[in-house]
Amino acid sequence: MPAANQIRRSWLLVPASAAPRIASAPASGADVIILDLAEFVAEPNKPDARDAVPAALDSVKAGGAEVFVRIDPQLMLADLNAAIRPGVAGVVVSRLESAAQIAEAAALIDRLESQRGLLPNSVEVVASLETAAGNHNGFEIATASPRVTALTLGRADLAMDLRPEPSGEIHLMQYLMQRLITLAAATGKLPLGAWWRAPDRGLLATPENTLAAAQRGRAIGFRGSMCVLDNQVAPLNDGFTPTAAEVAEADAIQSAYAAAVQSGAASVVHAGGRALTPNLVRQYAQVSALAAACAIREEFKSAALSGRPIPLP
Amino acid sequence: MPHPHRRLKRSGLTMPIVTDRFISNAWHRGCDFINMDLEDSVPPALKGYARSLVRRSIPVVNKGGADAVCRINHDLMEADLDAVIWPGMVHVNYPKAEYGHEIRRMDEIITRLERERGIRPGTIAIGANIETAVGVANAYEIASASPRVRDFGGASGYDMSRDLGVEMFVGFDQFVYGKGEVELAARALNLEPRAAPFTPNITGSVSDPDRAFAEADAARQCGFRIGGGLHPFVVEPQNRGFTPNDAEISDAHWVLDEYRKLAVSNETWVQIDTQSLTPGDGPGPLDSSDNPNLRHRVIDRYEAARAAELLEWARLCADRDREKDEAIARVRAAADADAT
Repeated sequence: MPAANQIRRSWLLVPASAAPRIASAPASGADVIILDLAEFVAEPNKPDARDAVPAALDSVKAGGAEVFVRIDPQLMLADLNAAIRPGVAGVVVSRLESAAQIAEAAALIDRLESQRGLLPNSVEVVASLETAAGNHNGFEIATASPRVTALTLGRADLAMDLRPEPSGEIHLMQYLMQRLITLAAATGKLPLGAWWRAPDRGLLATPENTLAAAQRGRAIGFRGSMCVLDNQVAPLNDGFTPTAAEVAEADAIQSAYAAAVQSGAASVVHAGGRALTPNLVRQYAQVSALAAACAIREEFKSAALSGRPIPLP
Repeated sequence: MPHPHRRLKRSGLTMPIVTDRFISNAWHRGCDFINMDLEDSVPPALKGYARSLVRRSIPVVNKGGADAVCRINHDLMEADLDAVIWPGMVHVNYPKAEYGHEIRRMDEIITRLERERGIRPGTIAIGANIETAVGVANAYEIASASPRVRDFGGASGYDMSRDLGVEMFVGFDQFVYGKGEVELAARALNLEPRAAPFTPNITGSVSDPDRAFAEADAARQCGFRIGGGLHPFVVEPQNRGFTPNDAEISDAHWVLDEYRKLAVSNETWVQIDTQSLTPGDGPGPLDSSDNPNLRHRVIDRYEAARAAELLEWARLCADRDREKDEAIARVRAAADADAT
């Protein structure tokens, strides 16, 4: 059962070099804001972007978002040095290709946590598997460190040059998504992604297409997704939250089951045309719990944004 | 990224080497390659005869500039290799590849035969074709077994269908997992993926030119570069479908022009509404009136890389077409000289 502070449906990528984007991000409603030091920062802007991270870590929290920093594995030392500070929830490592890179990142994070007074092992790592090698080595990467808490394909469509098929599906993506979700479930990590279709490209889509991608993505097991623009956040939050109808059905089924168990009437309970097993009822309970946790998360973010007292979880 | 050994394979005919009228006439079809089959199209009793034909057939199929390729038998690998590794041969297809050691053994034999027979070492590529479930399970090991494996694919088609006991022409994609495994291995090893987007086909026709063009065009737009077929009617449509057209070449130049502007702006991407542009004399984007997906175009380093690759590919296609045209013209001129 997810805790309210682990509801991470929308992960908004904001270039750490883009002051206006950092200023607008808190009002987007993102569950997570990722300050990007990787591919959305042009090469000449990288030093300034790193310098901007400490202040931005603080200011982008204004809307109640958790804050991650996305780093480039080829600039691990410089980027982690900028990112690992009090207030950072974790780092997204773009274009990860091997378990050795995770080990390298983890060792640097160990040291920086200790030097800078962060709780040991508190900084999470999101493994972004955007290349063929990264996906091929996905299991080793996922299990290389307990810091790895989530897996994503990031912008694999661009990094691997995967293009739309005549059907509108992006080539190879159905396989890669299933593979990543299976790997994540097998290793106890959070699978992040959405089922994008042409013309969606590199996490960029219209709000309507983002909602559809989130809904399809949730249906195959994703729990949240990264995005590029502020106006994609609300559709991701919506798409990864159980609908009112789903919650009503889940509640009704749990009630029917509880009532039947109470009365001792039957060993197999039928509701809504389904035979209810304890496992199935537990799954409906998870839908209700997820919806409740999402509601708490929304309340928390809206209180943070308006300066109201933050409700206790 | 073009491979240093890259040979164009937009179109190719696979034919039984024992059928002389196919082998003798294939050269003027315009194929990038001609695949002389010793395997499924040759009955068991003719395997020895088939082997005896390969060496002398190479110059016959080469006449029109096509590359000579052959498909050997999985279970007769050593005997077949001895018969096919001759000057002029560039690629040996090994069907139903299942283990890395098979490919390593092939590499050893080919390496020896190349040196014995005066072929530049490393010339001959191995087509390690995945056509069984065991092959899918060992795809990465097979693909990485020899540097002679330069393109890699499979996990669909007649033999895969038979191995899994399913009908091949059902109108939906039955092989998502296996094809994904094989393509991921190819990409992880930086090999040219031999794949194509799925297009529904319930007829199984091997001679429909419209279908061949549509499939080749879709495959190329998806980034794939390799074709091949069984019937002469599909050769020209495949060459055309795998070759960028003028509008796409203009689009690629436009993308690179826009990327050069972006590069000095310190931004990493920009989105352009192509319908807001006034058409000029220079290169312009693809027309989006029939395809709304093309209206809002992102320009970034990925689009620039695609555009550069497309222009490089267009150049390779043009060079290859010229090479084949010249070869065919030479044969015809020689024939005319003989006639007079």
